[in-house]
Amino acid sequence: MAELLQFLVSGVTVGAIYAAVALGFTLIYNATGVVNFAQGEFVVIGGLTAAALIGAGVPPLIAAPLAVLAGLVVGLLLYRLAIRPAGQAPLVSLIIITIGASIFLRGAMQMVFDKQIHRYDGFSGEAPIGFLGATILPQSLWIIGGSLVVFAFLAWFMGHTRAGRGIRATASNRLAAALVGINTRAAMNLSFALSAAIGALAGVLATPVTFTSYDVGVLVALKGFSATMLGGVGSAQGALAGGLLIGLIEALTAGYVSSDYKDAAAFVVILAVLFLRPQGLFGARMTERV
Amino acid sequence: MPELLRIEGLVSAYGALEVLHGIDLAVAEGEIVTLVGANGAGKTTLMRCISGVQPLRAGAIRFRGEDISRRPDHARAGLGIGHSPEGRQIFADLPVEENLALGAYHRRGPLAADLDEVYTLFPVLAEKRALPAGGLSGGQQQMLAIGRAIMTRPKLMLLDEPSMGLAPVLVDRILEVITTLRDRGVTLLVVEQNAFAALSIADRGYVMETGRITLSGPARTLIEDPRVREAYLGA
Repeated sequence: MAELLQFLVSGVTVGAIYAAVALGFTLIYNATGVVNFAQGEFVVIGGLTAAALIGAGVPPLIAAPLAVLAGLVVGLLLYRLAIRPAGQAPLVSLIIITIGASIFLRGAMQMVFDKQIHRYDGFSGEAPIGFLGATILPQSLWIIGGSLVVFAFLAWFMGHTRAGRGIRATASNRLAAALVGINTRAAMNLSFALSAAIGALAGVLATPVTFTSYDVGVLVALKGFSATMLGGVGSAQGALAGGLLIGLIEALTAGYVSSDYKDAAAFVVILAVLFLRPQGLFGARMTERV
Repeated sequence: MPELLRIEGLVSAYGALEVLHGIDLAVAEGEIVTLVGANGAGKTTLMRCISGVQPLRAGAIRFRGEDISRRPDHARAGLGIGHSPEGRQIFADLPVEENLALGAYHRRGPLAADLDEVYTLFPVLAEKRALPAGGLSGGQQQMLAIGRAIMTRPKLMLLDEPSMGLAPVLVDRILEVITTLRDRGVTLLVVEQNAFAALSIADRGYVMETGRITLSGPARTLIEDPRVREAYLGA
């Protein structure tokens, strides 16, 4: 029983990271229709920047926001330098551009930082907390709390702010949005910036538990993408639920089957979703009369 | 009546393909002006230039005396230009009422009176206000696109093919709404395939052929003009 609980705790922890990555995917997808495969790189930029700053003696509470800011800036640059110049290119081209950007960012991080594996101490110390016979790291609570805060913030931002409405309208119909006075470029800038900041925050929070290095972004992005697919592309609730489920499936596979198959679990889920329920758990079937 | 819109020497192109070759056109306050012409004549492109979603290569667009041709697309709704575009272009996944509310995005303040006005003109939209707009019929989507343009509180309303694909009874309803709007002080520039219907309610008309204005004048004169009758009225 304690063993199952331990697996669940670690599943929810990594699941919360995947959920944050999936929320980043959802945000950019909703505003632009692009699946941003550089999403995992934002997570790594957050983690590596925080590690470098903390290593240089900057207190974690200052290093963390700076690392999120670094991710946000890279997200804006990605949109300005790679996506926007492609203009009206077909979506597939834009998606391929994000794959190229992800390879480029990986190379750049290898040069700016290094090829080592990095971590730093958790924000509230390293002493595990006992919990019904299982143990939980204080940093896990930071990760889970952080993802919930991001989810609540996005729900409020998209539903109740002018900018959020502008992003939703831009996502729904870019021409119509421009005609009613929405600055659609600003809306897309904002979605890339927010999405990158969310990814970087996930990296900052996760690194004490999961460690990070320049090349872990691909796997993180694929897990986050599986979570997005499972939850239903475009749905924020779906991203949260999908992330947590992928995390749990992974932890249970590692615990009861073999940790060799841990990473395969996410991909089995993608296949199952595509075969059985392509719209995902929360995705709407698109119906439209013409 | 003072002049609301003046277009001078407007040239526009899609890439290397020039589609408007120097358009001159004027609309006075309170008029209904219609653009008549075959498919591909450039009517929609001209409308898109006025609302800023299509760039100019040369020429000027003056609105209330000010050259707005370099103003970005998202600034034009605030200036007083409402556009119901070709093919409706509704926010299909958003509810009907949010579609209408987004029409007022550029201004702040309460919307209830504006929504009531639209719902009075198009009662069927009130019945479906909570449903996703993509589920509406073609005619209802057309009403929604016009309603959204009304919500911007335009001085000048651009209506592109408002009767496309509609049943005859609905066409009459749309024409009625156009004259109602004019009576309330809105100026309208209307593009129509159905030239007879458009000319019958318009004050003046312009005939476009392959990116040029070939004929213009009072609607009553155009409707009698043998060249117009032969080419567009099937007479």
